[in-house]
Amino acid sequence: MSPRVVVTAAGVISPLGAGLENFGCALYSGKSALAPAARFPGVTAADLGEFNPQPWLGNKGIRVLDRSARLLAVAAQMALTGAGLSQEGAETGDPDLGLVCGTVFGSVHSITSFDWSGLTEGPTLVNPMEFPNTVINAPAGQAAIKHKLRGVNSTVCAGLASGLYAIHYAAEFLRFGRARALMAGGVEELCEESVLGFRKTGVMSESGCARPFDEARDGVIPGEGSALWMLELDDAAKARGRVPWVEICGFGSAQDAHSICGFDVRGEGAAEAMEQALMFSDIAPEQVACIIASASGSRAGDAMEARALDAVFGDRLADIPLCAPKAAFGEAMGASGAMGAVVAGLALQQQQIPPTAGAGARKGLRISGEAAPIAGEYALVNAFGCDGNNASLVVRLWKN
Amino acid sequence: MTRVAITGIGVITPIGSGRQRFWDALLAGTSGIRPVASFDTAPFPVHIGAEVQDFAPEQHLRRLNPSTTGRASQLAAAAARMALCDAGLDAERLDVRRTGVSMGTTSGEPLFIEKYNNVRKAEGEEAIPADIMPRYPCHVIPTHIAMELGIRGPCLMIPTACAAGNYAIGYGFDVIRSGRAEVMLAGGADAFSRITYMGFSRLGAIAPKRCQPFDKNRKGMVPGEGAAILVLEPLEAASARGATIYAEVLGYGVSCDSHHMTAAHPQGDGAIRAMVAAMRESGISPDDVDYISAHGTGTPTNDRVESLAVRTLFGDGASAVPMSSIKSMIGHTMGAASAIEAAACSMALKSGWVPPTMNYEEPDPECDLDYVPNEARKIDPRVVLNNAYAFGGNNASLCLGRYEG
Repeated sequence: MSPRVVVTAAGVISPLGAGLENFGCALYSGKSALAPAARFPGVTAADLGEFNPQPWLGNKGIRVLDRSARLLAVAAQMALTGAGLSQEGAETGDPDLGLVCGTVFGSVHSITSFDWSGLTEGPTLVNPMEFPNTVINAPAGQAAIKHKLRGVNSTVCAGLASGLYAIHYAAEFLRFGRARALMAGGVEELCEESVLGFRKTGVMSESGCARPFDEARDGVIPGEGSALWMLELDDAAKARGRVPWVEICGFGSAQDAHSICGFDVRGEGAAEAMEQALMFSDIAPEQVACIIASASGSRAGDAMEARALDAVFGDRLADIPLCAPKAAFGEAMGASGAMGAVVAGLALQQQQIPPTAGAGARKGLRISGEAAPIAGEYALVNAFGCDGNNASLVVRLWKN
Repeated sequence: MTRVAITGIGVITPIGSGRQRFWDALLAGTSGIRPVASFDTAPFPVHIGAEVQDFAPEQHLRRLNPSTTGRASQLAAAAARMALCDAGLDAERLDVRRTGVSMGTTSGEPLFIEKYNNVRKAEGEEAIPADIMPRYPCHVIPTHIAMELGIRGPCLMIPTACAAGNYAIGYGFDVIRSGRAEVMLAGGADAFSRITYMGFSRLGAIAPKRCQPFDKNRKGMVPGEGAAILVLEPLEAASARGATIYAEVLGYGVSCDSHHMTAAHPQGDGAIRAMVAAMRESGISPDDVDYISAHGTGTPTNDRVESLAVRTLFGDGASAVPMSSIKSMIGHTMGAASAIEAAACSMALKSGWVPPTMNYEEPDPECDLDYVPNEARKIDPRVVLNNAYAFGGNNASLCLGRYEG
């Protein structure tokens, strides 16, 4: 049997709440972070606004970090502290402690700004100090410097499935014995470039309301933030006297090979990802106690997920509590899958599914605007993207 | 544990495309470094680059439309077709659900960012076409490969900058070993970009005339572009179908300097730990290593630190291990670099020859190893180490072995 990978802490920074407790409280109380964004006139978003990382990171070395790096470093600070693995005060960091970060647009604002400076002021006048932030792995590299993380450091990109891929990637590294503790999840910043992308492609909700799986849904609401889990092998966690929270079970992934910007509504890849996740967890569909959906309010995306869920769970689907948390924190892209995983962990721990903000009854799905009890140990998390990347993860309430 | 074979090689490089053409050019010491042609370098203090010369996407791509596909994706998808063909696998007969893609890159599709800014400057923000932003994020590169070939298994981009190719081949190796796929297309791709050129130029890192890794008078790196894809399969399955096995992936190791975004750790701490981890995973010791494919960018710092790291790890035996940098010929192809170098390592193991470090004239006391100066050499290596270091302090070493059949 392969070694068991467990979660010993979480870091989350979202417009819904900073820190696991605030995030969880807001989610369970049915709040939504979707609101007109002061930074982007006329746009509704889940935006952190003039976000200040100083309470978590202090002042030292912050200036050179771009927004993504700051968000990631804050989530990492929370996860490290929560797990008792902070390297603060250590002369050199632990060489077996690392970070795996998922993202979609990554450093897009830094690279666009850098090129813009060159274009408008001339290439010999740009600030060379701004070049390092243009690479896509810059947030992970900057967070490693900030927190003295000398082990595995990787950035992984699989569109909206990035956050779940990162958790899987890190779990595999732990199983292969390449690290002792890895933070894994994702980060995404909202910036003028990504908001322009959302706006121009017409995927954004005109009504300013994300209504996952609702007949009346009219598009997604962009979001931002970062979520990380601290992953360790169960033996290592136990040896440190840590009681794990949940266990990482099976991961499934499939590519639709259809489009870089359009859901394949047949949902074959999404169904395949879920089936693989169940198979690698060695569980049957009826053992799934709750589902954390990928649905964001996208007309095609939600239809695809509903069809795939139906293909995997059939008639039982109507009995499985389901939450679509993007109704509360928006489409946080590279961070979405990891935020979904955090929600799954909360649901298992509390044996209660959080409400889907603003949700009424949906045909064939057990989704509600109220929190509801669940019974069981396994939660399924989905992250499906319009880029054809589909990922699903099963997590289990920790039992010795 | 499942053993993993490299059975196909697809490469597009500044010195030629296709496995054999590339390899012949490499052993002959051919240079792909020329005056930059894809944009005007007049405003820059340097003017050379390593651009791909012989690439016509429509000759390779059957499903993707070149006019709407970014250059890095074009290079990657074409290299993927070449690799599959080289492996003797028919795209139409693959078990597509059990075939996956794992890619690395530094910049993804940066030409769309350039276009975004060009339009913004000339016509204003509202004129920016709707399709630019969705085409930029780096995950579109493996997705485009999947679309071109109809592949439906695991599909991941690992953009760990200039070490990305090794990371991606490593992930492909992991996916095969854990039984998630039967065939993985793994490698890296990057397109020549004014953004990258401007960045390295402003760091003062670009050499004015040529790339001279490890030479006392080395003046810097030369930005380049390209793509390489390796076909990975379980060794047993490859052997059973009678595939040509270029090499076996033995293991890899990654580490983080956690020191500086662009400068290597002065004692090569992360570089050493990545090599140690790769050797440990491969079950080998420094005595077993017959050749090192250096990261060898040609910058004063990189080459000194890499030499120091190898000296520290291999001790007195370091001088007996040939170590060369093909960046002296193909330039620094960014996220494609370590994938192209892994292709070269595979060919070295298969053919017995190792490529030279070109433009090597004057030894540097701080770089005191055997750099295979200026002439390819037949050494019949059994085990090779492929080093790659990146911005963000991301280091990755990949260990490949000769397949003895």
